Amino acid sequence: MAKYILRRALQIIPTLIGILTALYILAYLMPSDPLRAVLGEQYRRLDPAVVEGIREELGLNKPFLVRYTEYLGQVLRGDLGRSFVLEENVSDIIAYRFPRTLQLMFGGLLVGVCIGIPAGIIAAQKQYTWVDHALMVISLIGVSVPIFWTALLAQLFLTQSKYGIALFPVAGYEDGSLIHLVLPSLVLGTNLSATLARVTRAAMLEVKGQDYIVTAHSKGIAPRIVLLRHQLRNALVPIITVVGLDIGYLLGGSVVTETIFNWPGLGRAVVPAIERRDTPVILGILIFGSFLFILINLLTDLLYAVINPRIRYS
Amino acid sequence: MATTVEPTSSVPAPVSIQKRTSNRTRFWRAFRRNRIALLGLIIVVLMALGAIFADVLAPYDPVEPHYTNRLEAPSTNFSLGTDELGRDLLSRLLYGARISLVIGLIAQGVAITIGITVGAIAGWYGGWIDDVIMRITDIFFAIPGLMFLIVWVTIFEPGPVSIFLALGLISWPGDARMMRSQVMAIKELDYVIAARSLGASTTHMILRHVLPNAIAPMIVLASLGVAGVILSESILSFLGLGIQIPVPSWGTMVDASRTYITTSWWYGVFPGLTIMLTVLGFNFLGDGLRDALQPTQYNK
Repeated sequence: MAKYILRRALQIIPTLIGILTALYILAYLMPSDPLRAVLGEQYRRLDPAVVEGIREELGLNKPFLVRYTEYLGQVLRGDLGRSFVLEENVSDIIAYRFPRTLQLMFGGLLVGVCIGIPAGIIAAQKQYTWVDHALMVISLIGVSVPIFWTALLAQLFLTQSKYGIALFPVAGYEDGSLIHLVLPSLVLGTNLSATLARVTRAAMLEVKGQDYIVTAHSKGIAPRIVLLRHQLRNALVPIITVVGLDIGYLLGGSVVTETIFNWPGLGRAVVPAIERRDTPVILGILIFGSFLFILINLLTDLLYAVINPRIRYS
Repeated sequence: MATTVEPTSSVPAPVSIQKRTSNRTRFWRAFRRNRIALLGLIIVVLMALGAIFADVLAPYDPVEPHYTNRLEAPSTNFSLGTDELGRDLLSRLLYGARISLVIGLIAQGVAITIGITVGAIAGWYGGWIDDVIMRITDIFFAIPGLMFLIVWVTIFEPGPVSIFLALGLISWPGDARMMRSQVMAIKELDYVIAARSLGASTTHMILRHVLPNAIAPMIVLASLGVAGVILSESILSFLGLGIQIPVPSWGTMVDASRTYITTSWWYGVFPGLTIMLTVLGFNFLGDGLRDALQPTQYNK
């Protein structure tokens, strides 16, 4: 097992370096002088010699390969550089904002799991009945709904407005306030719960006909126990895979959710950083997001072995 | 009673008729039986007709402002209401359909082309080629799609071509993986081995034997992919980063409605509903195609 973990961990290193390179090239291609974005109006009035000095200080006048290798070394030491505009280190920005995004992602995940998995189990139990059909149509609607629209509808009907009831605050963030977390989590979790319902149904049906389920039933074990201990447990592998893959969706969805709900997370830092051409911040957040995604998928891979002992790794 | 047994019942006529039905007939039969898929097809066709005949169907001009009719609720004059410049929402949605559908189809075309090519090469050749290609696929898979899109449009101005490319670039990894697994399974089948031993060229084998047999799941993925791309484009437009043109795409309309959402519900609700219906149509269609193209599921 330890050997397997090590091998999988080593395998992701080329992928990580590839991501770093791809994103760095992308950021390098960003148009317009970042200096102009940093200095704003002052830029035109400045002495060209001074501008050149600042470029030198920021390391902007070095050739691409030199800057790239320097950046690579920096990132490998855990340093994501310093924002051009804000007087802050990128890692500090991430350290402040990521926990807030994590709250949202966790909320969305909770909504997704609590609605999606039970719905999928019920649909599988009632296969080909109207309950199953209704649940699957609803889940397809859930997959098709644009996230910004769900957010607007939620704000329209569930907060203080002309058409709504004031159940939740319209937007905003307060430390430790759960009520502010409800709407963004619901919105972020809608799509996930729909996906999970479909995957859970398929996985449960796949397992249903297996011999060990028939055996368990014929041994006289209570159907509820068979359902949870035998069927669900063996159906968990694809479910967990989807959860792992959807972390990327949750991260992307947080850009929209945080923008609409005024939530001070990573997603809401990306859009302004792009407007300011603040390359280190954009790059840092994108790299962080991709690494997180890869790490979580590595963890889900390892979880398989815990959940399903039939999977033996050499 | 033995006398009730009809002697003719032993004639296996129905079986032989069934054997003669072509794949296409069987596909249509399965597809039609699936009411959801049919509904999806109807939605998609209606949206496409709306987009094609927008200039005939739209009751008003989609761009010209009418300041006297600002933010009017749905009525007999304006069936879906008007926006803050007094423009008819229905007309704007019809014209917007052109943008959303064209982007959806072309971008998904880009994605599926990359996916099929890359996946087929990886699956057919295997070995280090496969390794390299799949690692690159992993990289594209891991980069958060929406953030990538946002960065992309700031680099390459959000024109039509850059949007097609960007949406295509974030959508192909799933297609490539599916194609690869298809090709890997098919290339070991007897008819491919037979073709190979007859001296068929690689191109011939891939184009005539592998592709046609791998295409079914790709069609399903393409249909579901159009849904995904339309959704992504609407998010991009909503963030104000979509194609900049006078006739807005649906996402732009929802974005514009945000200021008025608390007073004019129709402004935000109808464009969002249109996006949802269109995406739903393609999802229904893809789902139905999957069931119809996988006869094994029906035999269960």
